[in-house]
Amino acid sequence: MKRYIAYSAILALVWCFVHGTISVNNFILGLIIAPFIIRPFKFLFPFDLEFSFGNAIKKIPAQIKFLYVLIVEIIKANIMVAKIVLQPKIDIKPGIIAVPIDSKTDIGITAIANTITLTPGTLTIDVSDDKSILYVHAIDATDPEGVAQSIREDLEKYTMEAFE
Amino acid sequence: MALEILSNAVLILGLFFVFLAMLGLARLPDVYNRLHTTTKIGTLGAFSVMLSILLKVGFSPMGVKAITVALFILITSPVAAHMISRAAHRHGVGLCRESVIDEYGKACNAACPPPEED
Repeated sequence: MKRYIAYSAILALVWCFVHGTISVNNFILGLIIAPFIIRPFKFLFPFDLEFSFGNAIKKIPAQIKFLYVLIVEIIKANIMVAKIVLQPKIDIKPGIIAVPIDSKTDIGITAIANTITLTPGTLTIDVSDDKSILYVHAIDATDPEGVAQSIREDLEKYTMEAFE
Repeated sequence: MALEILSNAVLILGLFFVFLAMLGLARLPDVYNRLHTTTKIGTLGAFSVMLSILLKVGFSPMGVKAITVALFILITSPVAAHMISRAAHRHGVGLCRESVIDEYGKACNAACPPPEED
């Protein structure tokens, strides 16, 4: 029951933003509608997870740092892909690489996969069945070891601090 | 006034990136390389257009909606690219001729070898 109220409050806030006007009336309307959304999709919400506010607040500086890294990487990725697209003759050596990862929780793997897709020259395709290897399509796959190492050292460090 | 000029500048930047994404969609060789351009450049392009709306109208209902849409695009576009590329690979869409390595195909074949044709 406590879980239902917490998730309903989050969804009500999202509803306020989607509607555009943030007011008490809107928030209460969202709060009334939210349980009808949560009930059919109950398997998507982590109902049995331990949650403490202390931990959540402790992670906020790491998450802000991660957001900064993400924005810088997105801008770098755009410049790199723009360069490739604007070349007179397209000269690329793409390929699919297996990258072992250390993240264990579902949210950590989701975060690292989405971050890989938004960063320069790489695109996540699939995760292996035992959740230990990500298959990544790289636009420049001449050096598979180097790509895997740069993902582990530059990105996974931040996502593990921020989400696990 | 300054905000108006900034808004227009961001709008032009965003539209330029959207144009680049479409150019990449037409020029690059196979489905995986095309997804690179549509997710990365498309994300920043759409984000810039929404940001320009926010700068133009301020925090009115329209501006708040625009920035919400921008955040949803940022979260969902990598997931969409991931599902499209995975579905393409499972349906046997091959990589382009320039490709140098395919470890995913090897892993798939090791898990369930393709049926022998006779």
